[in-house]
Amino acid sequence: MDEQARQTIAGEIDKRMNRQLLYYLDICTRCSICKDACHQYVTTGDILYLPAYRAEIIRRVYKKYFTRSGRLYPAISEGLEVDDRLLDELYKTAYACTGCRRCMYFCPFSIDTTWFMAIAKAMLIAAGKGSKILTELAGAAVIKGENIDLFKDIIAETLKDTEKELQERVGDPKAMIPIGKKGSELLYVALAGTHTILPTAVIFHQAKANWTLSLFEAANYGYFLGDVKQATQIARRIIDEAKSLDVKEIVITECGHAYRVVQFLYETWAKEKLPFKIRGIVELMAEYIKQGKISIAQGMIKEPLTYHDPCQVGRNGGFYEEPRYIIHQVAADYREMTPNREKNWCCGGGGGLVAQPDMDDLRIQTGARKVEQIKMTGAEIVVSPCENCRLQLDSLNEKYSMGIKITSLMDLVAGAISG
Amino acid sequence: MDWFSYLVAGILVYIAVAIFILGITFRIYQWFSVNRSSVKLGMFPKPKNRWARGFKLFKDTFLYPQVLGVDAAMWFFVLLLHFGGIAAFVGHLRLFNEFTFIANALGDEGMAKFAMWSGGTIGIILLVSVTYLIMRRFKSPYKDLSTPEDYLLLVLVLVILLFGNHLRFFGDVHVAEYREYIHSLLAFRPAFPEAIVESSTKWVLVSHVLTSNLLFIYFPFSKLIHSVGTFAGNLIRSEV
Repeated sequence: MDEQARQTIAGEIDKRMNRQLLYYLDICTRCSICKDACHQYVTTGDILYLPAYRAEIIRRVYKKYFTRSGRLYPAISEGLEVDDRLLDELYKTAYACTGCRRCMYFCPFSIDTTWFMAIAKAMLIAAGKGSKILTELAGAAVIKGENIDLFKDIIAETLKDTEKELQERVGDPKAMIPIGKKGSELLYVALAGTHTILPTAVIFHQAKANWTLSLFEAANYGYFLGDVKQATQIARRIIDEAKSLDVKEIVITECGHAYRVVQFLYETWAKEKLPFKIRGIVELMAEYIKQGKISIAQGMIKEPLTYHDPCQVGRNGGFYEEPRYIIHQVAADYREMTPNREKNWCCGGGGGLVAQPDMDDLRIQTGARKVEQIKMTGAEIVVSPCENCRLQLDSLNEKYSMGIKITSLMDLVAGAISG
Repeated sequence: MDWFSYLVAGILVYIAVAIFILGITFRIYQWFSVNRSSVKLGMFPKPKNRWARGFKLFKDTFLYPQVLGVDAAMWFFVLLLHFGGIAAFVGHLRLFNEFTFIANALGDEGMAKFAMWSGGTIGIILLVSVTYLIMRRFKSPYKDLSTPEDYLLLVLVLVILLFGNHLRFFGDVHVAEYREYIHSLLAFRPAFPEAIVESSTKWVLVSHVLTSNLLFIYFPFSKLIHSVGTFAGNLIRSEV
């Protein structure tokens, strides 16, 4: 690797520098309190997964290339040169991080490790060493956005069977799954496949919502990849669609990171103020129940049931009570996990890990804490309003032979609708 | 005052204080010369209003209750270190001016006893907590993550404490003489009073001042800047 390449890669730190990051670079005391916060470090003992170490790698590169002390006496300041070994280490630590921010909660200085990991990913992309699978998935999403006219008919055709299923479930031959309906109040953004469309369509039908389905999936692989440009492009497809349909709000399905991207990150990335409201389906379902727009068969689920707070829905999204409110309507035997809410353990599958086959072993190993938590509740059903979490919980269920059922809140509500 | 004492306990004190103040100012300027990201990094649940946010900032900064849940020993010793440090700072203010309200209440002898006990206790508490932090650094994973700076700072603080405790427990110089020395510094005519010059602990005092000077000089450029930046970090925690 020549010097210019090293400078270009390290230059990503400078490009992404901001005041918050500079605080973080300066104030970490390497106390390593975060070691007990990270499910990956706790279950592997590998320092690569210790949040303070994750940040320290970036700090040392920063010292080497952007501070006088690092340039003059790198040995004392432990400045790190960009080389293949460093990039390998960055890959392992950055693409393994689930972005749960549990370490930030426990850090006495509230240092957000995900910002360091975002820089690590930017450096890897600059070196041409970003995650291949995430690059492909993000690229495919961008291409779909650029050629949506080619996909419209295929999507409409695929939905015909789902629409029939909807009509059977709600007993209404006129029930529809509208696509591209201008002037709808809300644009619902689902995931690839129909599993997040049908239950929501049932709920919307019961609530008599004026809705339309987005042509795009909510998942944002550009975000997982760490490529802000692509992540913005992918999110913009939905934003532009919402603008063209003149909707009042965008409702994101049960997908933690997708909600976080559109609600908290998009405006900064795209440098534009959104003219409509962004909500998660969890919030909307709770509202429907409270307003009596949908009626639920109270306590219809008798088996012991527990709730997994997805990091992006709870700690990073702000929804702790809404899902619990919904569950209390449906379940007769609800059991709280310990710890829960902002202290809840990550399931181990976030951050795009479930989409990266090279992380399979790691995510199964590091899901051990979640398995313990679930077993302690004695629950037979685990509810989680995040697709990544559910996929990870499915894997854990199989690998650890837990014999539990994993379900979404949408399915829970749609299955409990009465009247 | 011999030339070495004059250099270390005189000239260098001014240099150290100047570097400390200018250094911290420079670091704050550095932070503010970079744009803030408009992404709100706060976590949930967020405080309901500004007062609650201020209270949370105070609690997280001074008591860091989250740490108690994951590493109670670390929480305990770090709390001792920080509050001990603040108490030591307050105690040293007596070298500028007598705490007359306490002295009037206790009398001269009572005040001397109070200073001996409180100062001595704080000195021991600080020594124990710094020793804990040093020992912790030699254990994995802390040692794998530690940089030379981490050891250097802890050793420097340890040495300052050892000299300080020596002065407290074995010194034959009284507060009035120290106060005279401090007042000479404030008057920009640094000098040791006769009692210090003739004391066997003079070199311990000079060493205490020298190592303290080094800490003050290094402070703004080290991770000790967390003492200022922690407020900003913990404010980010509840950004709305």
